[in-house]
Amino acid sequence: MNVLRVSKWTIAAFVLPCLIVYVGLVFIPVLVSMYSGLLDWNGIGTSKFVGLDNFKTLLFDDPVFWPSVRRTLMFAVFSMAEIPVALFVAILLNRFVKKPNFFVSAYFMPVILSVVIIGQLWKTIYNPAAMGGMLNQVLEQIGLSSWTHSWLTEPNIAMYSLYFVALWQYLGYHTLIQFTGIQNISADIYEAAKIDGAEGLKADWYITFPMNIPIFKISIVLAFIGSLQAFDMVMVMTAGGPAHATDVISTHMYNMSFLSMKYGYGSSIATFLVALCLLATVVINFIFNRLERKYT
Amino acid sequence: MIKQSNLIKLVLAGVLAASLTACGSGNNGGNNANSGGETDAGKNNAATTNNGGTNAPAEEPKKENVTITFQNIYPDPTDPKNGMLKKIVADYEKANPHVKIELDSLNTDQQKLKLKTQAASKEVPDITIVNPAAQMQPFVEANLFAPLNDMVEQNGLKDTFQEGILDWYTFDNNLYALPDGNNIGLVYYNKELFEQGGVKVPTTFEEMVDVVKALKAKGIQPMAIGEKDSWTGSFLFMNVLLRTNGPGFLKDVAAGTKTFEDPAFVEAVEAFQNLVQAGAFQEGATSFDYNAGENLFKTGKAAMYYMGSWATGGIETSSVNGKVGVFKFPTVGGKGNPNEFMLAPGSAFAISANSKHLQETKDFLNYFMLNFPKEAFAVKGAVGLAQKVEGDFKAAGYSDMAMEVLGLFKEVQGGDLSFDNTMNPGTSQGHLTSIQNLFVQKKDSAEVAKEHQAAFESNK
Amino acid sequence: MSQTIPVAGVKPVAQRGKQMFPLAKIIVFILLGILLVTQLYPLLWLLIYSLKNNEEILSGSFFSLPSKLMWSNYTDAIASGNYFKYLLNSLITTTSTMVLVLLLSSLVSFAISRFRWKYGQLVMVLFLIGMMIPMQATLLPLMLIFKEMKILNTLWSLILPYVAFQTPIAVFIMSGFMKSIPHEIEESAVVDGANVLRIFWSVIIPVSIPPMMTVCILTFINIWNEYILAATFISKEALKTLPFGVNSFVSQYSVNYGAIGAYLVLGALPVIVIYFLLADKITKGMVAGAVKG
Repeated sequence: MNVLRVSKWTIAAFVLPCLIVYVGLVFIPVLVSMYSGLLDWNGIGTSKFVGLDNFKTLLFDDPVFWPSVRRTLMFAVFSMAEIPVALFVAILLNRFVKKPNFFVSAYFMPVILSVVIIGQLWKTIYNPAAMGGMLNQVLEQIGLSSWTHSWLTEPNIAMYSLYFVALWQYLGYHTLIQFTGIQNISADIYEAAKIDGAEGLKADWYITFPMNIPIFKISIVLAFIGSLQAFDMVMVMTAGGPAHATDVISTHMYNMSFLSMKYGYGSSIATFLVALCLLATVVINFIFNRLERKYT
Repeated sequence: MIKQSNLIKLVLAGVLAASLTACGSGNNGGNNANSGGETDAGKNNAATTNNGGTNAPAEEPKKENVTITFQNIYPDPTDPKNGMLKKIVADYEKANPHVKIELDSLNTDQQKLKLKTQAASKEVPDITIVNPAAQMQPFVEANLFAPLNDMVEQNGLKDTFQEGILDWYTFDNNLYALPDGNNIGLVYYNKELFEQGGVKVPTTFEEMVDVVKALKAKGIQPMAIGEKDSWTGSFLFMNVLLRTNGPGFLKDVAAGTKTFEDPAFVEAVEAFQNLVQAGAFQEGATSFDYNAGENLFKTGKAAMYYMGSWATGGIETSSVNGKVGVFKFPTVGGKGNPNEFMLAPGSAFAISANSKHLQETKDFLNYFMLNFPKEAFAVKGAVGLAQKVEGDFKAAGYSDMAMEVLGLFKEVQGGDLSFDNTMNPGTSQGHLTSIQNLFVQKKDSAEVAKEHQAAFESNK
Repeated sequence: MSQTIPVAGVKPVAQRGKQMFPLAKIIVFILLGILLVTQLYPLLWLLIYSLKNNEEILSGSFFSLPSKLMWSNYTDAIASGNYFKYLLNSLITTTSTMVLVLLLSSLVSFAISRFRWKYGQLVMVLFLIGMMIPMQATLLPLMLIFKEMKILNTLWSLILPYVAFQTPIAVFIMSGFMKSIPHEIEESAVVDGANVLRIFWSVIIPVSIPPMMTVCILTFINIWNEYILAATFISKEALKTLPFGVNSFVSQYSVNYGAIGAYLVLGALPVIVIYFLLADKITKGMVAGAVKG
């Protein structure tokens, strides 16, 4: 229970500066966007109020929309599935390496590089062998020519190629987060567990894992944010193509708002995105509240 | 929008109070220099027109400083066009010390996004860049651009432009933008690779498909394309359509006298698919952006390249210079006139109707366009200009290929604009996707036509 | 995040694996080594890339070396790409954003997690809602707002939205941490006669260094390469940021990849240097911060 009793004015002084900036520049724009979602508007000229028409088209009549939602959610699922791997790496680093900080920092490197360069790098990896594509060349060299693919342009494969790049880029990110979590688990707990006969992986299962649950929450939230905002990477690598095969919600929104010049329709996608965010926030918080109650 | 902006103002009062008190002082130096200048100018004007209040300065006030924002798409400092732009601007600033030109140089995609965002909030920069015809229409309809009818008459600027080119930028007899280029679609080919493959320049589309097969059989990459930028494939496809139907197909569709399910359109899709299915384009073409695609040709890794004549300059400075020739897009199924070309009137400079310095901006753009051909000629960028160029290209060191391209220009007997310059943006996006899809899978041509018709109907 | 508060002094945990089998250890090191190569190789690749010419970049194979080292890419990047000017603007923007995010979010988090008041939970939920909204979705409304505020074409038009969009996650992390700080701390401070501001500044903030570090890192990686807002709200050459430099080598019908590579190296360099200098501090700082509590 919170203890500090303070005056209204004190609370206001602490809360308002941040709240005003946040509400003014995040909340209000989102509300404005939601309103635009009710318009038939090309973004430039005059607009017409059309009620929920955009949403009707979006939900029932847009062949690109639901697949893009599915890809976005898959993005999130893959990103979350990566977190246990990151935890595992963090545990290994913590246990076997004398100076783990160097490794953690090195793994983190891809995160700070601009998407422009990540995109260029992976394009040269995914290119056809004749164009110097590393992956295909390696496959040919080890006699697996039948496994070579046009990684970014075969509609069934392209999206997975993108997922993989994101997983690669953000492994170090989650490793860093998990690592700092582990670092903060007191050694005494492990000592105590050792006396009870729990060591190594067993100790990890009974101590590291549950103790890191709050850290998981941060990781998962960040993974989810990352996958909803995967815009830049998709644009650089495939721009949503070929023929929408790699469109995610955010690229579809961009295409509609600015290329097809249906700003109103694009805004209805934005509204959907916000709703999805809300849902995700609620679900994640619900799950973790239960988990934390169970383990702490 | 009225409701929105009221709402915003309300909130802003709060945000402003909270944040600007903190930021205010630091700001003045950078931001307000411009607006400060304006208000001063306003005061001075008021003073002079009021015939001098007691406070009015005794002597004739100097011309107030004016800043003109010039949004453009020549950001690359190593690109000759960027140097040319800066040179003309510097010359003008020297001659008119009270004018400062603020260059906002962006890459093409970013400029489009920025302009659309600015247009929505009526914040269009003094000078900006737009594409011709259908692409600039929404801006014109929203009254964002100032008519340039008077300005283009000054100093004989109008006469420097080629016949008819300004029509693409004219709406209801008002001219709204001045183009930087005028190009045509043609096929560049690598003579050396043609020789290696034992093939000749095709005179029909069917021969072209055979050439593709023959080159392929010899292990030579027949054509290059940058289909990640999906307009590239569309540009080529539209040339096929120009042959099977003749000019004006999209206009007829828009007018309702034809549909996309017209036999000429289906035939064009069929022919285009033949080319793709013959293996004309490099593997993974849809992940190559414009530059990566063009680079295959420029490094001698592909034998043919269909593109607008603007590519000439880049090819001239690449390693295949001297080995490259050009040919007109051939007839398809015996149909079409090879002297009808895909026309590509260039991106164009427009002036904001709300510009605070409308006259100064017009004066500058007038000067800019008058000097444009001369300077472009000097940096060897004069192939495909929208203006008449005086000067001996040969003597100035333009390549044989460039001369060949210039020769083709003289044979132009009309043609069509690209799809997105003719149709509304929604239909265009549907079309671009549909054509891009043909690069990754074979489809029933009638089905493709249906897709187009559906996209057209839903975007009417 | 209750585990961040140690029961007693924390011993370095890294010592625990000492008596492992050498074989297991070797396997682990190979594994970690491979990971090291795959994660660090891009830097090397970028370095090589930045010294190639366009044709080598676009057609060369993955491992190829440049035939001639193109140092001119770097001179292009520095001179014509306005490197130092843009770097300065990027640093100003990023630093101001970080400072503001830390300040504002720690104030709110303190209020949410330590004050006894009715609407704490509501405010928290309000922030949670905004946590996942992509900044680009609000481009147009922001433009309208900044037009009204007359701050277009100033660094404030970047700093303010960056701050606004980073605060939710910052509040999420900070308040999560602050909730876990034992209440005895401020109870004793109250007994000592400290006022609220003092408790905040001298008791809570020093303990909260670790989550602040995390917030710093998150803020940094989210905004250092941000381009869409920057390109839309800033038109003045003198105020442009580093991502502009990168994109300035992309023109309508050509891309100067070598110069982009050089620019990216130059852009990443200060970051990498700072990061590696602070890397120890970041992880150690977290433990140390916790010990103090």
